[in-house]
Amino acid sequence: MPPRLNFHTAARSLTIRSRPIAATYQPRIAHVVSRRGFAEEKQPATGPNQDILPGVSEEARDMGDITGETKPEIEQGTPIQDILKRDPEALKKAPAVIKEELDAEKKAADVENTTFGNLLALGQLEKASEGEYVGHKFGLPDLPLPKDGNLHYRYDPVVDQVTNLLMAHGKLSVAQRNMAYILNHLRTSPPPTPNPLRPLLPGSPPASHLPLNPVLYLTLAIDSIAPLLRIRSQKGAAGGGAALQIPVPLGLRQRRRTAIQWILDSANKRQSRGSGKFQFAQRFADEIISVVEGRSTVWEKRSLVHKTGTSARANLMFGQRRRRIAH
Amino acid sequence: MAASINCWKCLSRPSIAVIQLSSRVARVAASAPFSSTSTNLALPAPTRKAASTTKGVKTNLKINKKPRPKESRKPPATGERKALRKRIVLSNTNALEVAGMEDLSPEIVDAIAKDTAEGEAGSGLVGKVVGLPGATVDSLRAIEAFKTTQGWGLFRRPGTLIRKETADLTRALLAAQKEKSTLTLMLDGAKGTGKSMMLLQAQASAFAKSWIVLHIPEAQELSNGVNDYAPIPGSDLWAQPTYTAEWLAKIGKANNEILKTLKMKNTHNLPVPIEKDITLARFCELGSRDPDIAWSFFQAFWTELNLPGRPPVLLTLDGMSYIMGMSEYRDTDNKFIHCHNLALVKHFADHISGTSKLANGGAIIGSTSRSHNPISLSMDLAIYQALQRQAKQEITQKDPFEKKYDERATKALQNASAMMIGGLTKKESRGLMEYWAASGVLRQRVDEQTVAERWALAGHGVAAEIQRGALRMRI
Repeated sequence: MPPRLNFHTAARSLTIRSRPIAATYQPRIAHVVSRRGFAEEKQPATGPNQDILPGVSEEARDMGDITGETKPEIEQGTPIQDILKRDPEALKKAPAVIKEELDAEKKAADVENTTFGNLLALGQLEKASEGEYVGHKFGLPDLPLPKDGNLHYRYDPVVDQVTNLLMAHGKLSVAQRNMAYILNHLRTSPPPTPNPLRPLLPGSPPASHLPLNPVLYLTLAIDSIAPLLRIRSQKGAAGGGAALQIPVPLGLRQRRRTAIQWILDSANKRQSRGSGKFQFAQRFADEIISVVEGRSTVWEKRSLVHKTGTSARANLMFGQRRRRIAH
Repeated sequence: MAASINCWKCLSRPSIAVIQLSSRVARVAASAPFSSTSTNLALPAPTRKAASTTKGVKTNLKINKKPRPKESRKPPATGERKALRKRIVLSNTNALEVAGMEDLSPEIVDAIAKDTAEGEAGSGLVGKVVGLPGATVDSLRAIEAFKTTQGWGLFRRPGTLIRKETADLTRALLAAQKEKSTLTLMLDGAKGTGKSMMLLQAQASAFAKSWIVLHIPEAQELSNGVNDYAPIPGSDLWAQPTYTAEWLAKIGKANNEILKTLKMKNTHNLPVPIEKDITLARFCELGSRDPDIAWSFFQAFWTELNLPGRPPVLLTLDGMSYIMGMSEYRDTDNKFIHCHNLALVKHFADHISGTSKLANGGAIIGSTSRSHNPISLSMDLAIYQALQRQAKQEITQKDPFEKKYDERATKALQNASAMMIGGLTKKESRGLMEYWAASGVLRQRVDEQTVAERWALAGHGVAAEIQRGALRMRI
């Protein structure tokens, strides 16, 4: 059976709208300053309340202009320049002294109206016309910009994340010192012997290359044990008040975060053998080494999560199914 | 047998008459006020718990906690933790061997001395890292010249950067050896500029040149009251027996190669008889056995070193401001003892002031420490004045309104020369960073730009700051 036509919806497209539905935004108050051009540096910005009325006599003069009545004399006499402006004949026949004066005034007015920016631009144009390089005081940076070029991203992302998770009581510099200790510990301890039963990330470099690249060492350890998913327990969803375990996939940063938390947990449980301020950093570094060597219990945690995820994969579409039904 | 109510073994049910009778008896007992039968038979009233009800009496609020889980592993033995903390690691087997690194041999020491000298062709060693030979490393380790904070553990084998100041100092040392004069020097500079490293380089050069090196690695151990002390009879001095004994042992161990070739020449007035014609190495060992005799043995040892024909001597001390005031020790009147009344400190002070000379030439070098050290106005002024004297400038006089000067410290340091150690030059920084890169520790391109960047960020080449920025990831 063909779907029934709904006349209301069909008719909706036929309506003729003469006006746009939403009125275009028209600001009531003009942004005077922002509308000014760059060349208008000389004139000060005038705000809405800066339009001052003219004086009484000027007003009377304007009124006289309109009504045709006698108006007050504002200027005592007519300046010679105005006469010369009006009368080109007179300008031609004017004495040389006045002509020179007029020229000088004109030049002065030009200079006064030229801003510093304009002068600079003129100078640069002159230079450019001579074929000289005009541009940047310190030259242009090489492109593409390096990833760690920004002050806030100067460290490796994994190092940054571990440092932040190491931090306790907001003491970032202590965490950074610990991070430096961890990296130096990885640098100086003997190369790890990986366990074939606990394979590291595929494509990882041989173990003997790791100590001299401690950031890679750390990244490899963390990424190798990072779980692919987490288990969300939905209360009461399994029926009879039992929780339903739903596997949820994790993003890269979340995966790493989970792995770092696991390492932190087992580093906490280790016992310090020495004394001094870098005890925790030492235990953390030892845990990293034992992860790469496959001795750490973190591997168990990872496989447990993955096993649970596999067995609960039937619940994967739990949320979506319910949403579809509701729709 | 008549069945009773309480007899549960009887299978026969009690007759109603019996029940009625027994309940009647109970009722009678309850109603008869003068009968004591029921009260006697009754169980004692349950005592109320005092905790819950009695007012004014403390209740027991203790919650039984779980006992701490016992450590399954054996805890570290006594002293093991500290040993781990103070351990000096001088090698990193992961780091790469730097090709073409020269060792600090006697010839190289000569070459370094010529490097910045006027009218000499430079050997080009300034700005390069030279390795320390194995024997020197053992000796330096014995006198505790290496420090945990200096980052030795990152590299394949110990190496040290030759800088302009190194060349100047080496030249002065060799001149003192040649002229059999005594060089007295104070090393100063900001924190992390390499004062202790300069001492180490002087010691390494001295070991290479077969000098005898005596080093006090931490001057504060002499003055902060951690060692035992005893008055020396017939003087106002105090000996530190255990420290002296240990120091003698270190001297003997570090200079063993030379001392075992030198024999005792004079007879000394010693508290214990010793064999004749023993070597100085053996003499040091004997002196270090018993703290009570160590000071007399040290005096005899020093006299022997100053006999003609003996090698030059280098006496160094790190952290000079600790011994330029009152110590933490107290005398018999319970007053603080001045540091210069401690025999070992006085020995150093007498030599750096120039009142005692080294007969065979040598040097007395004191280095300041600029991290967490006591302020010694006299020492600071003495260094400042010495620098001005050397630069032939007008000499700053001491502040007439300041009361914290120490007269004895002023007197001890007034004749010594001084050397101010600043940041590395860019060339030296580059040499250092190239060495790190060649060791595989610095994974970064080393070019003019990166060197300039690190140099500028490190306060114009403060060595420790360059290291911190480049190797310890802190900026």
